[in-house]
Amino acid sequence: MLLQLKNIFKWVNSGGQRLFLLKDINLDVEEGEFISVMGPSGSGKSTLLNVIGMLDNFDEGEYEFLHESVHTLKEKHRANLYKEYIGFVFQSYHLLDELTVKENLEMPLLYKKFKGTERKAMVADMLDRFNIVGKKDLFPTQLSGGQQQLVGVARALIANPKLILADEPTGNLNSSQSEEIMELFKQLNSEGVTIIQVTHSEKNAAYGSRIINLLDGRMIK
Amino acid sequence: MLRHNIVLFFRNIKKNQSSFLINTIGLSTGLACTLLIGLWVFDELRVDKFHKKDAQLYQVMQNFQFDDDIETEGRTPVPLGEALLAEMPEVEHAVAINDFFSWRSREGILSDGDNHIKAVGWHAGSDFFDVFSHKLLQGDKDEVLAGKNGIVLSQSLAKRVFGTQDNIIGKTLEWKHPSFEGAYQVTGVFENPPANATAQFDFLISMEILLEKDRWAKGWGSSYAETFLTLKKGTDVEQFNKKIEGFLNTKDNSDDNATLFVQQYSKKYLYGQYENGVPVGGRIAYVRLFSIIALFILLIACINFINLSTALASRKMKEIGIKKTVGANKGTLIVQFLGESMLMVVLSLVVAILFVVLFLPQFNEIAGKQLHLNMDFYQVLFIVGIVLLTGLVSGIYPAFYLSGFKTVTVLKGKFKTSLEEVWARKGLVIFQFALSIIFIIGLLVIDDQIKYTQTKNMGYDRDHIISFQWKGALYDQWNGLLEGKSNERFYVFMSELREVPGVVHATNMTGNILNEIYGQSGISWRGEDSDRDFLFQSPVVGYDFIETLGIALKEGRTFSGDYHDDYSKIILNEAAVKKMGLQDPVGQTIDMNGGSQIIGVVGDFHYGSLHNQVEPLIFRLDPHGRNIMVKIKAGTERATLERLEKFYQGFLAEYPFEFTFMDDDYQTLYESESRVAVLSKYFAGLAILISCLGLFGLATFNAERRRKEIGIRKVLGQSTAQVTMMLSGQFAKLVLVSVCVALPMAYILTNNWLSGFAYRIPLRAWYFLGAGLAALVVALLTVGSQAIQAANRNPVNALRDQ
Repeated sequence: MLLQLKNIFKWVNSGGQRLFLLKDINLDVEEGEFISVMGPSGSGKSTLLNVIGMLDNFDEGEYEFLHESVHTLKEKHRANLYKEYIGFVFQSYHLLDELTVKENLEMPLLYKKFKGTERKAMVADMLDRFNIVGKKDLFPTQLSGGQQQLVGVARALIANPKLILADEPTGNLNSSQSEEIMELFKQLNSEGVTIIQVTHSEKNAAYGSRIINLLDGRMIK
Repeated sequence: MLRHNIVLFFRNIKKNQSSFLINTIGLSTGLACTLLIGLWVFDELRVDKFHKKDAQLYQVMQNFQFDDDIETEGRTPVPLGEALLAEMPEVEHAVAINDFFSWRSREGILSDGDNHIKAVGWHAGSDFFDVFSHKLLQGDKDEVLAGKNGIVLSQSLAKRVFGTQDNIIGKTLEWKHPSFEGAYQVTGVFENPPANATAQFDFLISMEILLEKDRWAKGWGSSYAETFLTLKKGTDVEQFNKKIEGFLNTKDNSDDNATLFVQQYSKKYLYGQYENGVPVGGRIAYVRLFSIIALFILLIACINFINLSTALASRKMKEIGIKKTVGANKGTLIVQFLGESMLMVVLSLVVAILFVVLFLPQFNEIAGKQLHLNMDFYQVLFIVGIVLLTGLVSGIYPAFYLSGFKTVTVLKGKFKTSLEEVWARKGLVIFQFALSIIFIIGLLVIDDQIKYTQTKNMGYDRDHIISFQWKGALYDQWNGLLEGKSNERFYVFMSELREVPGVVHATNMTGNILNEIYGQSGISWRGEDSDRDFLFQSPVVGYDFIETLGIALKEGRTFSGDYHDDYSKIILNEAAVKKMGLQDPVGQTIDMNGGSQIIGVVGDFHYGSLHNQVEPLIFRLDPHGRNIMVKIKAGTERATLERLEKFYQGFLAEYPFEFTFMDDDYQTLYESESRVAVLSKYFAGLAILISCLGLFGLATFNAERRRKEIGIRKVLGQSTAQVTMMLSGQFAKLVLVSVCVALPMAYILTNNWLSGFAYRIPLRAWYFLGAGLAALVVALLTVGSQAIQAANRNPVNALRDQ
């Protein structure tokens, strides 16, 4: 088992009322799964993803990740945990415009204390694998959206995470670019990487092995 | 990672050029100011500290108790040093020095054959080189001043006289001086006193010469020497001071109200003002003032940095969010941001050092120093310290602030400025402007007070008066007149001087009416002994003194040869008449120097600087003063000065005719104030400049942030003018608050400064209103341009890209 959410609640207080963002979420994720999270806007998809990614807190419930109780961990340990096992892919790519493709890829490695030679090898490997060697010295603004997201996925993968969390990875892409990214996800999944993606598109969701539907913060069957 | 961050830093600079420019200009001017002032402060702090026994080196000071005051003097009886050495076990070495050649001219001519060199010499006791650390290049420290006829030369004097410093021991030099003429044998050469020594002298001759040539010098009753001691290590100075307090009374000293204490020699420079017999400060006040100014200017620059980096946080948000998701923790981000501000400071430092190199000559001129940026150990230490401090002060808040962002919120772009943060930023701007306004007010007040000192009617007229010295032989009752020596040549000089065309009046005096009046105590005007405890200023002047200075004569007459006036005649000022409570003073006799008759009363006039009150004053007559003052007919200065030079050389061919204008001498009384005035002008200007830069940055950011709002307002029908008003208005409010904060502070500070003057300008409202208005106008001009630009933008553009 990779992770397990038990009775997760998350809310905000708004005008004296408790507004639930997540309500009683129970979810088991095995290693090697490819899960698509679907639901209308505001149903809590991204919040759920952020909770799983430990970027956001929850108010009630238990969360175990690789047999560690995330809810009892200190901020620093939590950061170490997701730093090691989780890679993120965002809808708007979130590449640093001031850094070249190569440097963007290298960045996660810097925070994991890899040696310079190791970093170079890993970056070269990734460039190779994604067929973007020729783009390594370009800045993100010089790339198309699809290429940027390719770099985004490469960056998420570079430190060999067990889990990739993708928040509408194709939301800003046209259909052929979308397809390319989804094929890539499928291939990664077949190589053993667990993927959880948030998507609006039925077609993209179909790439997954399991679909979770959210409505007003609840999972519906 | 370091390389990565540095790359990111420089690429970010390229992207945000305007804020980078604002930060560099602000920080580098701030740093440059701090470096310049730092150099100056360090130089001040190190004055006289070069002596090896600095911690043990003390000067003996003398307090004179009067009924209404205590006068503190550095001069002491000549035998004091040896007596202390003999009787006090704490004393390691003692030396008596006379640096004023027994009240006569300090300068004389040293001659080696036909080579005549003007030089300044001191009389010194034989232990001089044990007490002070002036390095002897030649000669033995125990021998050089042991003999009566030895002379020890400075390196540079030796070179000027002999062209070399080698093989000159034993050579004979002629010393031509009004009182100490004679032949002396070179016994040693010492290294030139360093620039940061207060003691600057060309040569030393034995104290014995003084004792021999001036029979009053040996006594316990007169103060012909400065006495310096080295105390043994571990001496409790307070205890020692108690021990020596009444020491003079155990000797044959007529002045029973004189007490002694010691002050560390190197402290005298900064703590040279005394109140009630204890050091209360002095130049240290300026050292502190400028240190504070430097720190504040640097702080203003740091505030710019803080405000801009927090205001521009939105631009950093993405970077922070991404870095956090890929695994950067708070600590590494803090280190990164602190590193960035350090790097920023280091870049600014490079510019600052350029500024310093560029402006050091001018700064030296204003400050009257010879400072160098030579990157010695202390300077490097100081610079590194300042860089670290600046980097920390400006970086620490932004670092914690930026790294504390929640990853999710920043990635969503839902970043909202909290209320406290806005307040903090406003508070910092208020602080900046309040400081700037205080600087401006300080500047206005100092400037006006200086002007006041220049234009105030002093009760005498210092225009067209020159002063020079009679450097020839001159005898008085103390040094030979009683033995039958004659001053005939001097008398002829004085009387012919009055006949030189263009000379309106000429007079002479002992000392200097501006800064060297000898006090006189022990006067009884009602025949009561209790009267003797008051101190009267009593300048010793020659004939025509009152006429030359144009002092108003209220009653009686002035000193005149026609009446055969002598030392027993005196003239009072009105303050003295009032103090004594005399009715019809002219003709009365008071008990002063064995009975003196009042022949006239003059109006009060401000001798000296306006720092001091006009005190009761008694003119004494002695036509043997060697300081001559000549009133020149207006408009004929050049011709008259030429004639005077010729005339002077006719009497004293071997001395150059060196004169000063009394007006210039008067200015030097306010030397430190004038320096402060000039420097404060620059500093106030810089403070305002840096503050405005920061404001400009904030205004730019503000207009950018409110772009959408401005667009909506304009679409809904607000005019450009209204939008401009709205944008500038919020900054105007901040400056107004700063004015309110600054005014009371400035009032207290300037009032405090002015209280150092006995005669001062009143604090007028316009200083405060003017400074406030100036700050407001400058601030509005700064933000106004940005506001107009923002208000003029096409609202469609602003609304489209949302």
